[in-house]
Amino acid sequence: MVTYLARRLPSAVLVLFLASLLIFAILRLVPGSPEETLAGADASPEQLAAVRADLGLDRPLVAQYLSWLGSLFRFDLGKSYIVGGSIGDLIAYGAQNTVVLAASALLIAVVYALVVSTASVIFRNRLLDAVVTVNNSIAAALPIFITGTLLVLVFGILWPILPSGGTPPDGFLTRPDIAAQYLILPAITLAIPAGAALTRFLVEALHTELRQPYVVTAQSIGVSRRRIVLAHALPNALPSVLTVLGLTVGGLLGGAVLVESIFVWPGLGLLTEEAINSRDYPLVQVLLVLSVAVFVVLQLLTDVAHAWLDPRIRLGGQA
Amino acid sequence: MSELVDRNVATPEASLPGGLADVRPGLVPETPADRDPRRGTEPLWRSLTHGRGLVGAVLVGIVVLLGALAPVLAPFAPDDQLDASFLLGPSSTHWLGTDDVNRDVLSRVLFGIRADLVIVFVAVPVGAILGSLIGLVAGIRGYTDVVAQRVFDVILAFPALVLAIALTAVLGPGVRAIVLVIVLAEIPVFGRLIRTSVLEVRELPYVEAAVVSGASIGWVLRKHVLPNSIEPLGVQLALSMSIAVFIEGAMSFLGIGVVPPTPSLGSILSDGNRYLETNPLFAVGPLVVVSLLTLGFLLISQAFAHARRL
Repeated sequence: MVTYLARRLPSAVLVLFLASLLIFAILRLVPGSPEETLAGADASPEQLAAVRADLGLDRPLVAQYLSWLGSLFRFDLGKSYIVGGSIGDLIAYGAQNTVVLAASALLIAVVYALVVSTASVIFRNRLLDAVVTVNNSIAAALPIFITGTLLVLVFGILWPILPSGGTPPDGFLTRPDIAAQYLILPAITLAIPAGAALTRFLVEALHTELRQPYVVTAQSIGVSRRRIVLAHALPNALPSVLTVLGLTVGGLLGGAVLVESIFVWPGLGLLTEEAINSRDYPLVQVLLVLSVAVFVVLQLLTDVAHAWLDPRIRLGGQA
Repeated sequence: MSELVDRNVATPEASLPGGLADVRPGLVPETPADRDPRRGTEPLWRSLTHGRGLVGAVLVGIVVLLGALAPVLAPFAPDDQLDASFLLGPSSTHWLGTDDVNRDVLSRVLFGIRADLVIVFVAVPVGAILGSLIGLVAGIRGYTDVVAQRVFDVILAFPALVLAIALTAVLGPGVRAIVLVIVLAEIPVFGRLIRTSVLEVRELPYVEAAVVSGASIGWVLRKHVLPNSIEPLGVQLALSMSIAVFIEGAMSFLGIGVVPPTPSLGSILSDGNRYLETNPLFAVGPLVVVSLLTLGFLLISQAFAHARRL
């Protein structure tokens, strides 16, 4: 296991390093000098000088890159020039909301996938199969911003039973019932593609398990189909689906950016949108590094989980 | 009970242990028909003449026609600001109503299709060609393979939206940035596809025999690799076009899409989203067209996947 990690880790670090170089380069490649970009076109020479000193723009590029990298590691991210406030606080606040949204969506997706796929395998019901097929097609054919818009239109406006955007006025903990109302539409929008992907893999894995000899044995001694699926096939099928979960979480975080924009949910996605539109490049840079880091870590975890579950990968030459 | 066993003794390919690993995330959802061992023997394009392929081709065809005929069909100019028409609902003059700056939504949607079609039919083929060339070279020469794989890894490590944000920050928003993002995102996809094809074909006994008999690399590529990879290429091309429409919309939602006042489906949808209560058709118009387009490309991709003769 340790040797596998030792083999896999360098490439993850390399990817992160190259990504950080590219992202660092953004501010230097944007037309105009960095301090003008940050302070605005009508900034006084004093303001420009202040920004310049603050960013250490008079130092060599390598030194600038290293100190930027250092500040990332210390999570001492400085202040945002345009959106305002400390970048660390902005990100902590956004991350909290994004995590609530993504975690709810993941929960919905996992529960949906478990229930629907086991039910469709146990009961072999045409109606259930049709539900699975239709949801898979919707998830594949309709981009997340389409399903989100449709949900707002139907449940927020034509038949207004749920708020069509924003966050609960009293926060998440004081009135959980109201918080749930605000959460439900964005979380379902985000859960649709994830739930469909998980269902697809789980059904596939369950069918693979049901072809194993031990299932025939279980049948021949009279174990019920429900018990075969739930007690035998499902536990064996779960590990292979677990490795897909990493990709699913990655997809959820990417989708969250769009969902937050549609539902005005003040998470990292909305912060990113705000930072881009106001050209707050230091904030954009930190957000980009953060998302690449999260993706690299997710991929690493997925590979490690895969290797842990499958000795052929752990011991073999090719991952 | 015996029924259970019979049902699950599936095709040989589906029962291979690698069956699950072959299902790539994001690729065409598998339907039972896809696992049918009886592959068709017809050329790829003919799958567009019946079933799913026909529906997909018709959907895409309708949208392409609407876009091509936009100057004829549109009742107004796309950026014409009309008098006293702020966010009107649908009427006989404005079928989809008007938007927040007094423009006719229907005309904007029709012209917006053009931006999306340019993005889809320029960016995806360019990315496919570049990616395929890199994949070819990587599959033939071992040392370039290592470099290409690492570069692909880095590009793939960037979620497409991160790539989009970074590039747009540098280039400025617009069609150019969107095209570049899609090209960059597609290069590793097609690169890997072709590289795998080359590596597979290289090991085939009859290809080894051809090489031993003195066949040149060009011959092997043309006669063996190309025919073997043209079908997966077609499937991926249609799928990537569906994704390209999605990327344009996603970038517009983030405010890094096509620059106003030029209309694009994603930007109209993103604007219309804010006025769902006043004029729902402002968003529903582009929404329907985007759905037709993504669904059409997806169906074509599924039809191709089903018709593969490999």
